[in-house]
Amino acid sequence: MTDTVGGVILIGPAQLALATLFVVFVGILSIRLSLGITRDLAVATVRTYVQLLALGFILRWVFGIDSSWLVVGLVLLMVLAAARIILKRSPDAPPGLFGSAFVSMALTGFLITFAVTGVIIQVEPWYLPQYVIPLAGMVIGNSMNGIALALERMFSDLDRREDEVLALTALGATPWEAAHPAIRDALRAGLIPTINSMAAAGIVFIPGMMSGQILAGADPVTATGYQIVVMLMVAAATALGSVMALVLTYRRRFTEDGVFLETGFRDETR
Amino acid sequence: MPEPALLAASDLVALLRVDGREVRVLDGVSFELEPGAIADITGPSGSGKTTFLRALARLLPEVTGSLSLAGTPAEQIAPSAWRNSVALLPQKPAIFSGSVAENLRIPWTLKVRHGASAPTDEALRLALLGVALTDVDLERDAARLSVGQQARVALLRVLLTGPRVLLLDEPDAALDDASADAVGARLREFADAGGAIARVRHHRSDGLATHRYLLSGGSLGAIPGGAPAPEFLHDHTPPSNAEEVSS
Repeated sequence: MTDTVGGVILIGPAQLALATLFVVFVGILSIRLSLGITRDLAVATVRTYVQLLALGFILRWVFGIDSSWLVVGLVLLMVLAAARIILKRSPDAPPGLFGSAFVSMALTGFLITFAVTGVIIQVEPWYLPQYVIPLAGMVIGNSMNGIALALERMFSDLDRREDEVLALTALGATPWEAAHPAIRDALRAGLIPTINSMAAAGIVFIPGMMSGQILAGADPVTATGYQIVVMLMVAAATALGSVMALVLTYRRRFTEDGVFLETGFRDETR
Repeated sequence: MPEPALLAASDLVALLRVDGREVRVLDGVSFELEPGAIADITGPSGSGKTTFLRALARLLPEVTGSLSLAGTPAEQIAPSAWRNSVALLPQKPAIFSGSVAENLRIPWTLKVRHGASAPTDEALRLALLGVALTDVDLERDAARLSVGQQARVALLRVLLTGPRVLLLDEPDAALDDASADAVGARLREFADAGGAIARVRHHRSDGLATHRYLLSGGSLGAIPGGAPAPEFLHDHTPPSNAEEVSS
Protein backbone atom coordinates (compact mmCIF):
# COMPACT_ATOMS: atom_id res chain seq x y z
CA MET A 1 0.00 0.00 0.00
CA THR A 2 3.01 2.34 0.43
CA ASP A 3 5.25 3.61 -2.38
CA THR A 4 9.01 3.85 -1.96
CA VAL A 5 11.67 5.80 -3.84
CA GLY A 6 15.29 4.87 -3.21
CA GLY A 7 14.42 3.17 0.06
CA VAL A 8 12.35 6.10 1.37
CA ILE A 9 8.66 5.51 2.00
CA LEU A 10 6.66 8.25 0.25
CA ILE A 11 4.21 10.47 2.09
CA GLY A 12 1.20 11.35 -0.06
CA PRO A 13 -2.00 13.38 0.48
CA ALA A 14 -3.66 10.51 2.40
CA GLN A 15 -0.78 10.30 4.90
CA LEU A 16 -0.76 14.10 5.30
CA ALA A 17 -4.50 14.10 5.97
CA LEU A 18 -4.08 11.40 8.62
CA ALA A 19 -1.32 13.41 10.34
CA THR A 20 -3.50 16.50 10.27
CA LEU A 21 -6.24 14.59 12.10
CA PHE A 22 -4.05 14.59 15.22
CA VAL A 23 -3.93 18.37 15.19
CA VAL A 24 -7.69 18.57 14.57
CA PHE A 25 -8.20 16.35 17.60
CA VAL A 26 -6.06 18.68 19.75
CA GLY A 27 -8.07 21.61 18.36
CA ILE A 28 -11.35 20.02 19.43
CA LEU A 29 -9.89 19.32 22.85
CA SER A 30 -8.82 22.97 23.10
CA ILE A 31 -12.35 24.19 22.30
CA ARG A 32 -13.94 21.81 24.81
CA LEU A 33 -11.54 22.76 27.60
CA SER A 34 -11.45 26.47 26.62
CA LEU A 35 -7.67 26.37 26.35
CA GLY A 36 -7.64 29.27 23.91
CA ILE A 37 -5.02 27.83 21.59
CA THR A 38 -7.36 26.71 18.79
CA ARG A 39 -6.75 29.76 16.64
CA ASP A 40 -2.96 29.75 17.08
CA LEU A 41 -2.83 26.05 16.38
CA ALA A 42 -4.87 26.42 13.19
CA VAL A 43 -2.73 29.28 11.93
CA ALA A 44 0.47 27.37 12.75
CA THR A 45 -0.78 24.26 10.96
CA VAL A 46 -1.66 26.22 7.83
CA ARG A 47 1.69 28.00 7.94
CA THR A 48 3.53 24.69 8.23
CA TYR A 49 1.75 23.38 5.15
CA VAL A 50 2.22 26.50 3.05
CA GLN A 51 5.84 27.28 4.02
CA LEU A 52 7.21 23.78 3.83
CA LEU A 53 5.40 22.91 0.57
CA ALA A 54 6.68 26.15 -0.95
CA LEU A 55 10.18 25.32 0.29
CA GLY A 56 9.97 21.84 -1.22
CA PHE A 57 8.94 23.15 -4.63
CA ILE A 58 11.49 25.98 -4.57
CA LEU A 59 14.31 23.61 -3.65
CA ARG A 60 13.27 21.15 -6.38
CA TRP A 61 13.34 24.04 -8.84
CA VAL A 62 16.73 25.33 -7.60
CA PHE A 63 18.28 21.86 -7.68
CA GLY A 64 17.10 21.54 -11.29
CA ILE A 65 18.47 24.89 -12.49
CA ASP A 66 22.06 24.44 -11.28
CA SER A 67 23.06 28.11 -11.00
CA SER A 68 25.65 29.46 -8.56
CA TRP A 69 23.95 32.89 -8.57
CA LEU A 70 20.67 31.38 -7.54
CA VAL A 71 22.27 29.51 -4.62
CA VAL A 72 24.11 32.59 -3.36
CA GLY A 73 20.95 34.66 -3.80
CA LEU A 74 18.93 32.20 -1.74
CA VAL A 75 21.48 32.20 1.08
CA LEU A 76 21.40 36.01 1.02
CA LEU A 77 17.60 35.93 1.31
CA MET A 78 17.88 33.64 4.32
CA VAL A 79 20.36 36.05 5.91
CA LEU A 80 17.99 38.99 5.31
CA ALA A 81 15.06 37.15 6.86
CA ALA A 82 17.20 36.15 9.86
CA ALA A 83 18.37 39.75 10.42
CA ARG A 84 14.73 40.92 10.44
CA ILE A 85 13.75 38.26 12.95
CA ILE A 86 16.68 39.24 15.20
CA LEU A 87 15.38 42.84 15.26
CA LYS A 88 11.86 41.75 16.14
CA ARG A 89 13.15 39.65 18.99
CA SER A 90 15.24 42.43 20.56
CA PRO A 91 12.66 44.90 21.86
CA ASP A 92 15.14 46.48 24.32
CA ALA A 93 17.70 47.18 21.63
CA PRO A 94 18.43 50.70 20.36
CA PRO A 95 17.16 51.68 16.90
CA GLY A 96 19.24 51.23 13.76
CA LEU A 97 20.36 47.71 14.56
CA PHE A 98 19.44 46.13 11.24
CA GLY A 99 22.80 46.84 9.57
CA SER A 100 24.79 45.25 12.40
CA ALA A 101 22.50 42.21 12.60
CA PHE A 102 22.70 41.78 8.83
CA VAL A 103 26.49 42.09 8.69
CA SER A 104 26.99 39.59 11.53
CA MET A 105 24.54 37.12 9.99
CA ALA A 106 25.95 37.48 6.47
CA LEU A 107 29.60 37.10 7.46
CA THR A 108 29.08 34.06 9.67
CA GLY A 109 26.48 32.51 7.34
CA PHE A 110 28.64 32.68 4.23
CA LEU A 111 31.99 32.09 5.94
CA ILE A 112 31.02 28.98 7.91
CA THR A 113 28.76 27.46 5.25
CA PHE A 114 31.29 27.70 2.46
CA ALA A 115 34.18 26.70 4.73
CA VAL A 116 32.30 23.48 5.48
CA THR A 117 31.12 22.71 1.94
CA GLY A 118 34.35 23.84 0.27
CA VAL A 119 37.08 22.77 2.69
CA ILE A 120 35.64 19.95 4.78
CA ILE A 121 33.08 18.17 2.58
CA GLN A 122 34.63 19.46 -0.69
CA VAL A 123 31.48 19.41 -2.81
CA GLU A 124 31.73 19.64 -6.63
CA PRO A 125 30.77 22.18 -7.95
CA TRP A 126 31.33 24.49 -4.93
CA TYR A 127 27.72 25.72 -4.92
CA LEU A 128 26.07 22.26 -5.14
CA PRO A 129 22.62 23.31 -3.80
CA GLN A 130 21.80 19.91 -2.27
CA TYR A 131 24.61 20.52 0.26
CA VAL A 132 24.95 24.30 0.44
CA ILE A 133 21.31 25.20 1.09
CA PRO A 134 20.52 22.79 3.94
CA LEU A 135 23.86 23.54 5.62
CA ALA A 136 23.39 27.30 5.20
CA GLY A 137 19.92 26.91 6.68
CA MET A 138 21.30 25.21 9.77
CA VAL A 139 24.13 27.74 10.20
CA ILE A 140 21.87 30.75 9.72
CA GLY A 141 18.98 29.41 11.77
CA ASN A 142 21.13 28.55 14.76
CA SER A 143 23.31 31.64 14.74
CA MET A 144 20.13 33.72 14.36
CA ASN A 145 18.84 32.24 17.61
CA GLY A 146 22.18 32.80 19.32
CA ILE A 147 22.54 36.39 18.12
CA ALA A 148 18.96 37.28 19.03
CA LEU A 149 19.39 35.82 22.52
CA ALA A 150 22.74 37.53 23.04
CA LEU A 151 21.55 40.96 21.87
CA GLU A 152 18.36 40.82 23.87
CA ARG A 153 20.33 39.78 26.92
CA MET A 154 23.02 42.44 26.55
CA PHE A 155 20.64 45.37 26.23
CA SER A 156 18.31 44.24 29.00
CA ASP A 157 21.34 43.51 31.18
CA LEU A 158 22.80 46.97 30.58
CA ASP A 159 19.51 48.49 31.71
CA ARG A 160 19.38 46.26 34.75
CA ARG A 161 22.96 47.18 35.67
CA GLU A 162 22.72 50.88 34.93
CA ASP A 163 23.98 51.76 38.43
CA GLU A 164 27.11 49.67 37.94
CA VAL A 165 27.62 51.08 34.46
CA LEU A 166 27.35 54.63 35.83
CA ALA A 167 29.78 53.88 38.68
CA LEU A 168 32.33 52.37 36.28
CA THR A 169 31.99 55.24 33.82
CA ALA A 170 32.44 57.69 36.71
CA LEU A 171 35.69 55.88 37.52
CA GLY A 172 36.89 56.57 33.99
CA ALA A 173 35.79 53.36 32.27
CA THR A 174 35.38 53.36 28.50
CA PRO A 175 32.04 52.11 27.11
CA TRP A 176 33.70 48.77 26.33
CA GLU A 177 34.94 48.46 29.92
CA ALA A 178 31.62 49.55 31.40
CA ALA A 179 29.63 47.19 29.16
CA HIS A 180 32.04 44.27 29.41
CA PRO A 181 30.24 42.34 32.19
CA ALA A 182 26.98 42.56 30.23
CA ILE A 183 28.71 41.56 26.98
CA ARG A 184 30.33 38.56 28.62
CA ASP A 185 27.07 37.32 30.15
CA ALA A 186 25.19 37.93 26.90
CA LEU A 187 27.68 35.83 24.95
CA ARG A 188 27.27 33.02 27.44
CA ALA A 189 23.47 33.28 27.21
CA GLY A 190 23.63 33.12 23.40
CA LEU A 191 25.85 30.05 23.42
CA ILE A 192 24.18 28.02 26.16
CA PRO A 193 21.46 26.40 23.97
CA THR A 194 24.10 25.27 21.46
CA ILE A 195 26.44 23.95 24.14
CA ASN A 196 23.56 22.17 25.87
CA SER A 197 22.47 20.46 22.67
CA MET A 198 26.06 19.41 21.96
CA ALA A 199 26.26 17.88 25.42
CA ALA A 200 22.95 16.04 25.08
CA ALA A 201 23.38 14.92 21.46
CA GLY A 202 23.39 11.15 21.07
CA ILE A 203 22.33 10.57 24.67
CA VAL A 204 19.03 12.35 24.99
CA PHE A 205 18.10 12.69 21.33
CA ILE A 206 19.21 11.87 17.81
CA PRO A 207 20.09 15.21 16.20
CA GLY A 208 17.86 16.38 13.34
CA MET A 209 20.28 15.99 10.48
CA MET A 210 21.36 12.52 11.56
CA SER A 211 17.71 11.43 11.96
CA GLY A 212 17.03 12.68 8.45
CA GLN A 213 19.93 10.83 6.92
CA ILE A 214 19.06 7.62 8.75
CA LEU A 215 15.43 7.89 7.60
CA ALA A 216 16.72 8.40 4.07
CA GLY A 217 18.58 5.12 4.31
CA ALA A 218 22.12 6.29 5.11
CA ASP A 219 24.48 4.21 7.21
CA PRO A 220 24.29 5.49 10.82
CA VAL A 221 28.09 5.87 11.08
CA THR A 222 28.22 7.93 7.89
CA ALA A 223 25.41 10.06 9.30
CA THR A 224 27.44 10.53 12.49
CA GLY A 225 30.30 12.16 10.62
CA TYR A 226 27.97 14.69 9.05
CA GLN A 227 26.24 15.38 12.33
CA ILE A 228 29.52 16.08 14.13
CA VAL A 229 30.60 18.48 11.40
CA VAL A 230 27.22 20.22 11.59
CA MET A 231 27.26 20.56 15.37
CA LEU A 232 30.77 22.02 15.43
CA MET A 233 29.87 24.31 12.56
CA VAL A 234 26.75 25.52 14.35
CA ALA A 235 28.70 26.17 17.56
CA ALA A 236 31.36 28.14 15.69
CA ALA A 237 28.77 30.12 13.75
CA THR A 238 26.76 30.96 16.85
CA ALA A 239 29.84 32.10 18.78
CA LEU A 240 31.27 34.10 15.89
CA GLY A 241 27.94 35.69 14.98
CA SER A 242 27.12 36.61 18.59
CA VAL A 243 30.53 38.15 19.28
CA MET A 244 30.31 40.17 16.10
CA ALA A 245 26.77 41.36 16.77
CA LEU A 246 27.59 42.35 20.37
CA VAL A 247 30.79 44.19 19.44
CA LEU A 248 29.06 46.02 16.59
CA THR A 249 26.11 47.18 18.71
CA TYR A 250 26.99 47.81 22.38
CA ARG A 251 28.33 51.29 21.61
CA ARG A 252 24.89 52.46 20.45
CA ARG A 253 23.72 52.69 24.04
CA PHE A 254 26.49 55.19 24.87
CA THR A 255 26.95 58.81 23.82
CA GLU A 256 30.02 59.97 21.96
CA ASP A 257 31.45 61.01 25.36
CA GLY A 258 31.00 57.45 26.62
CA VAL A 259 27.95 58.06 28.82
CA PHE A 260 25.44 55.24 29.06
CA LEU A 261 22.00 56.27 27.83
CA GLU A 262 19.70 55.28 30.64
CA THR A 263 16.00 54.83 29.96
CA GLY A 264 15.26 58.45 30.87
CA PHE A 265 17.72 59.83 28.32
CA ARG A 266 16.50 57.90 25.31
CA ASP A 267 14.61 59.11 22.35
CA GLU A 268 11.98 56.40 22.35
CA THR A 269 11.26 56.52 18.64
CA ARG A 270 12.46 53.44 16.86
CA MET B 1 45.33 87.76 37.05
CA PRO B 2 43.34 85.75 39.61
CA GLU B 3 43.93 82.02 39.89
CA PRO B 4 41.33 80.05 37.93
CA ALA B 5 38.90 78.01 40.04
CA LEU B 6 39.70 74.33 40.46
CA LEU B 7 36.35 73.45 38.92
CA ALA B 8 34.25 76.00 37.08
CA ALA B 9 30.92 75.57 35.36
CA SER B 10 29.08 78.28 33.55
CA ASP B 11 25.64 78.50 32.09
CA LEU B 12 24.79 74.80 32.34
CA VAL B 13 21.45 74.01 30.74
CA ALA B 14 19.97 70.52 30.90
CA LEU B 15 16.62 69.35 29.60
CA LEU B 16 15.16 66.14 30.91
CA ARG B 17 12.04 64.34 29.81
CA VAL B 18 9.82 63.77 32.80
CA ASP B 19 6.52 61.98 32.09
CA GLY B 20 6.72 62.95 28.44
CA ARG B 21 7.29 66.65 29.20
CA GLU B 22 10.57 68.49 28.76
CA VAL B 23 11.78 70.06 31.99
CA ARG B 24 14.67 72.51 32.24
CA VAL B 25 16.31 70.87 35.23
CA LEU B 26 19.32 73.16 34.97
CA ASP B 27 18.49 76.59 33.61
CA GLY B 28 21.77 78.41 33.20
CA VAL B 29 23.60 77.29 36.32
CA SER B 30 27.07 78.67 37.05
CA PHE B 31 29.25 77.35 39.82
CA GLU B 32 32.83 77.45 41.05
CA LEU B 33 34.84 75.36 43.47
CA GLU B 34 38.13 76.56 44.95
CA PRO B 35 40.71 74.18 46.37
CA GLY B 36 39.79 73.38 49.95
CA ALA B 37 36.10 74.11 49.44
CA ILE B 38 33.30 71.81 50.57
CA ALA B 39 30.07 72.92 48.94
CA ASP B 40 26.77 71.46 50.09
CA ILE B 41 23.94 71.48 47.57
CA THR B 42 20.44 71.16 48.93
CA GLY B 43 17.05 71.50 47.35
CA PRO B 44 13.67 69.86 47.15
CA SER B 45 13.38 66.29 45.87
CA GLY B 46 13.54 66.12 42.10
CA SER B 47 15.04 69.59 41.80
CA GLY B 48 17.96 68.22 39.79
CA LYS B 49 20.75 67.90 42.37
CA THR B 50 21.86 64.54 40.98
CA THR B 51 21.58 65.87 37.44
CA PHE B 52 23.79 68.80 38.43
CA LEU B 53 26.52 66.54 39.82
CA ARG B 54 26.36 64.37 36.70
CA ALA B 55 26.74 67.45 34.51
CA LEU B 56 29.87 68.45 36.47
CA ALA B 57 31.32 64.94 35.98
CA ARG B 58 30.51 65.08 32.26
CA LEU B 59 28.17 62.16 32.78
CA LEU B 60 25.01 63.81 31.51
CA PRO B 61 24.03 62.99 27.93
CA GLU B 62 22.41 66.24 26.87
CA VAL B 63 23.80 69.32 28.52
CA THR B 64 25.07 72.64 27.21
CA GLY B 65 27.33 75.17 28.87
CA SER B 66 31.01 75.15 29.65
CA LEU B 67 33.19 73.42 32.20
CA SER B 68 36.82 73.86 33.07
CA LEU B 69 39.30 72.21 35.40
CA ALA B 70 41.97 74.52 36.86
CA GLY B 71 41.54 76.81 33.87
CA THR B 72 41.67 74.09 31.19
CA PRO B 73 38.42 73.91 29.20
CA ALA B 74 36.67 70.52 29.25
CA GLU B 75 36.96 70.23 25.47
CA GLN B 76 40.73 69.84 25.86
CA ILE B 77 40.42 66.95 28.33
CA ALA B 78 39.33 63.45 27.28
CA PRO B 79 36.06 62.44 29.03
CA SER B 80 37.63 59.52 30.90
CA ALA B 81 40.56 61.67 32.07
CA TRP B 82 38.08 64.35 33.19
CA ARG B 83 36.08 61.81 35.20
CA ASN B 84 39.33 60.56 36.70
CA SER B 85 39.99 64.07 38.04
CA VAL B 86 36.39 65.11 38.73
CA ALA B 87 35.11 61.95 40.36
CA LEU B 88 31.41 61.33 40.90
CA LEU B 89 30.20 58.98 43.59
CA PRO B 90 26.62 58.00 42.68
CA GLN B 91 24.07 57.79 45.44
CA LYS B 92 23.55 54.03 45.13
CA PRO B 93 26.82 52.33 46.03
CA ALA B 94 27.81 49.99 43.16
CA ILE B 95 29.27 46.81 44.57
CA PHE B 96 30.66 44.22 42.18
CA SER B 97 30.93 40.51 42.84
CA GLY B 98 34.17 39.72 44.58
CA SER B 99 36.02 40.65 47.74
CA VAL B 100 36.34 44.07 49.35
CA ALA B 101 39.92 44.27 48.04
CA GLU B 102 38.82 43.43 44.49
CA ASN B 103 36.13 46.09 44.70
CA LEU B 104 38.61 48.70 45.88
CA ARG B 105 41.03 47.85 43.07
CA ILE B 106 38.50 47.99 40.21
CA PRO B 107 39.69 51.46 39.12
CA TRP B 108 43.13 50.01 38.35
CA THR B 109 41.67 47.45 35.96
CA LEU B 110 40.65 50.30 33.66
CA LYS B 111 42.62 51.62 30.72
CA VAL B 112 42.56 55.19 32.06
CA ARG B 113 44.95 54.08 34.85
CA HIS B 114 47.06 51.85 32.64
CA GLY B 115 50.58 51.62 34.07
CA ALA B 116 49.63 52.97 37.49
CA SER B 117 50.01 50.44 40.27
CA ALA B 118 47.04 49.53 42.44
CA PRO B 119 47.27 50.19 46.17
CA THR B 120 48.86 47.47 48.28
CA ASP B 121 46.90 45.43 50.82
CA GLU B 122 48.53 47.53 53.54
CA ALA B 123 47.33 50.78 51.94
CA LEU B 124 43.83 49.35 51.55
CA ARG B 125 43.69 48.27 55.21
CA LEU B 126 44.81 51.71 56.31
CA ALA B 127 42.18 53.31 54.10
CA LEU B 128 39.45 51.09 55.56
CA LEU B 129 40.45 52.16 59.06
CA GLY B 130 40.20 55.80 57.97
CA VAL B 131 36.45 55.48 57.37
CA ALA B 132 35.75 53.39 60.48
CA LEU B 133 35.57 50.07 58.63
CA THR B 134 37.70 48.51 61.35
CA ASP B 135 36.00 45.11 61.34
CA VAL B 136 35.96 44.66 57.56
CA ASP B 137 38.52 42.20 56.25
CA LEU B 138 39.94 42.72 52.76
CA GLU B 139 38.91 39.20 51.75
CA ARG B 140 35.27 39.64 52.83
CA ASP B 141 32.64 39.14 50.14
CA ALA B 142 31.65 42.73 49.36
CA ALA B 143 28.08 41.73 48.54
CA ARG B 144 27.57 40.64 52.15
CA LEU B 145 28.46 44.00 53.69
CA SER B 146 25.74 46.23 55.13
CA VAL B 147 24.50 49.13 53.02
CA GLY B 148 26.41 51.60 55.19
CA GLN B 149 29.61 49.58 54.81
CA GLN B 150 29.11 49.30 51.04
CA ALA B 151 28.62 53.05 50.82
CA ARG B 152 31.99 53.59 52.51
CA VAL B 153 33.73 51.01 50.28
CA ALA B 154 32.36 52.83 47.23
CA LEU B 155 33.55 56.17 48.65
CA LEU B 156 37.02 54.76 49.38
CA ARG B 157 37.25 53.32 45.88
CA VAL B 158 36.83 56.84 44.51
CA LEU B 159 39.08 58.50 47.10
CA LEU B 160 41.95 56.06 46.47
CA THR B 161 42.11 57.05 42.79
CA GLY B 162 43.28 60.50 43.92
CA PRO B 163 40.81 62.80 42.17
CA ARG B 164 41.09 66.59 42.44
CA VAL B 165 37.37 67.17 42.80
CA LEU B 166 34.88 64.88 44.54
CA LEU B 167 31.21 64.97 43.62
CA LEU B 168 29.28 63.09 46.28
CA ASP B 169 25.60 62.28 45.94
CA GLU B 170 24.29 61.93 49.49
CA PRO B 171 27.43 60.29 50.85
CA ASP B 172 26.07 59.91 54.40
CA ALA B 173 22.48 58.88 53.61
CA ALA B 174 23.07 55.29 54.77
CA LEU B 175 25.52 56.04 57.59
CA ASP B 176 25.07 56.09 61.33
CA ASP B 177 26.42 59.09 63.24
CA ALA B 178 29.78 57.56 64.15
CA SER B 179 30.56 56.45 60.59
CA ALA B 180 29.31 59.77 59.21
CA ASP B 181 31.76 61.54 61.52
CA ALA B 182 34.64 59.35 60.33
CA VAL B 183 33.71 59.97 56.69
CA GLY B 184 33.41 63.69 57.42
CA ALA B 185 36.90 63.78 58.91
CA ARG B 186 38.27 61.95 55.88
CA LEU B 187 36.60 64.44 53.53
CA ARG B 188 37.96 67.35 55.56
CA GLU B 189 41.43 65.84 55.10
CA PHE B 190 40.87 65.57 51.36
CA ALA B 191 39.83 69.21 51.12
CA ASP B 192 42.68 70.39 53.34
CA ALA B 193 45.13 68.70 50.99
CA GLY B 194 43.89 70.96 48.21
CA GLY B 195 40.94 69.00 46.88
CA ALA B 196 37.43 70.35 46.44
CA ILE B 197 34.11 68.66 47.23
CA ALA B 198 30.54 69.21 46.13
CA ARG B 199 28.01 67.23 48.16
CA VAL B 200 24.31 66.74 47.64
CA ARG B 201 22.75 66.53 51.07
CA HIS B 202 19.32 66.26 52.58
CA HIS B 203 20.49 66.11 56.14
CA ARG B 204 20.93 68.96 58.49
CA SER B 205 24.30 70.70 58.32
CA ASP B 206 27.19 68.67 59.72
CA GLY B 207 29.34 71.74 60.05
CA LEU B 208 31.71 70.63 57.33
CA ALA B 209 30.55 72.82 54.47
CA THR B 210 32.42 75.96 53.55
CA HIS B 211 29.66 76.97 51.12
CA ARG B 212 26.00 76.09 50.86
CA TYR B 213 23.75 76.31 47.82
CA LEU B 214 20.10 75.78 47.09
CA LEU B 215 19.10 74.25 43.75
CA SER B 216 15.50 75.00 42.95
CA GLY B 217 13.52 75.72 39.81
CA GLY B 218 16.58 75.13 37.67
CA SER B 219 18.76 77.76 39.32
CA LEU B 220 21.44 77.57 41.93
CA GLY B 221 21.62 80.18 44.67
CA ALA B 222 24.14 80.61 47.48
CA ILE B 223 22.72 80.29 50.96
CA PRO B 224 24.24 82.95 53.19
CA GLY B 225 25.96 81.69 56.28
CA GLY B 226 27.53 78.76 54.47
CA ALA B 227 30.68 79.25 56.48
CA PRO B 228 31.43 76.79 59.24
CA ALA B 229 28.77 76.75 61.92
CA PRO B 230 29.78 78.13 65.31
CA GLU B 231 29.88 74.70 66.92
CA PHE B 232 32.33 73.54 64.30
CA LEU B 233 35.68 73.29 66.02
CA HIS B 234 37.93 72.66 63.04
CA ASP B 235 40.35 75.54 62.53
CA HIS B 236 39.38 76.49 59.04
CA THR B 237 42.34 78.24 57.51
CA PRO B 238 42.82 78.22 53.73
CA PRO B 239 44.82 75.13 52.74
CA SER B 240 48.50 75.92 52.53
CA ASN B 241 49.15 73.79 49.46
CA ALA B 242 46.44 75.39 47.30
CA GLU B 243 48.88 77.00 44.84
CA GLU B 244 50.67 73.76 44.28
CA VAL B 245 47.44 71.98 43.35
CA SER B 246 45.92 74.58 41.09
CA SER B 247 49.07 75.15 39.06
